[in-house]
Amino acid sequence: MNIRVTIIDGPITPSAVPADSGISTTPARPPATAPPTVPAAPGARLTFEGLVRPDEDGRPILALDYQVYDPMATRQMESIARALLEELGLLSITILHSRGQVRPAQCSLRIDITARHRAEAITAMARFIDQLKRDVPIWKTPIFADIG
Amino acid sequence: MTLRVLLFGAEARLAAAPAVQVHVPDRPLIRDIRDALAAQHPALSASMAHARLARNHAFANPDEPVSPDDELALIGLVSGG
Repeated sequence: MNIRVTIIDGPITPSAVPADSGISTTPARPPATAPPTVPAAPGARLTFEGLVRPDEDGRPILALDYQVYDPMATRQMESIARALLEELGLLSITILHSRGQVRPAQCSLRIDITARHRAEAITAMARFIDQLKRDVPIWKTPIFADIG
Repeated sequence: MTLRVLLFGAEARLAAAPAVQVHVPDRPLIRDIRDALAAQHPALSASMAHARLARNHAFANPDEPVSPDDELALIGLVSGG
């Protein structure tokens, strides 16, 4: 089953993406000779990047500090991804989430979903994020700029 | 028996500790751990309305039995992403 969950220290940058993660950091290009009969070939690849906002409740921040209960967070994300993959017939889900400090405008969450068609990829993305925010043990604490 | 419960986020700040101990009868259920947390750690009592207990990295049902070697964690409101 094509599910990959990775927790990364600090922000998620192209260099932070594991080399063997299967995630492309460059735009997709169609293959020169696309085999038309490959049944599992994706027709949609959806990428979501969650960025740290510069303020929390109207107060400027220096960073968000993410605390992760690693073994459970990984297990929960794998479980959510597996259920969506099976229900919607997705081809793959790859998740990277930050641990520790991430500054404004930096990426703390990246999700890549591939599917045969866009509809199930879009549905899966929305549902995965909703469930992550409800059931995955990760906590963020703002580090405010106006506190010494 | 005495069991250790991991704390994170707001609950760790409320208890001023990354873990607390609870004293419970032998062969407790998850509901006994919840009751003990609320009774023995008043700083956490307000969190118990929404917090969930996890056993060995999965959310646990109230009727689940708990073994001495289980890893227990109190999972309050999460805020990932």
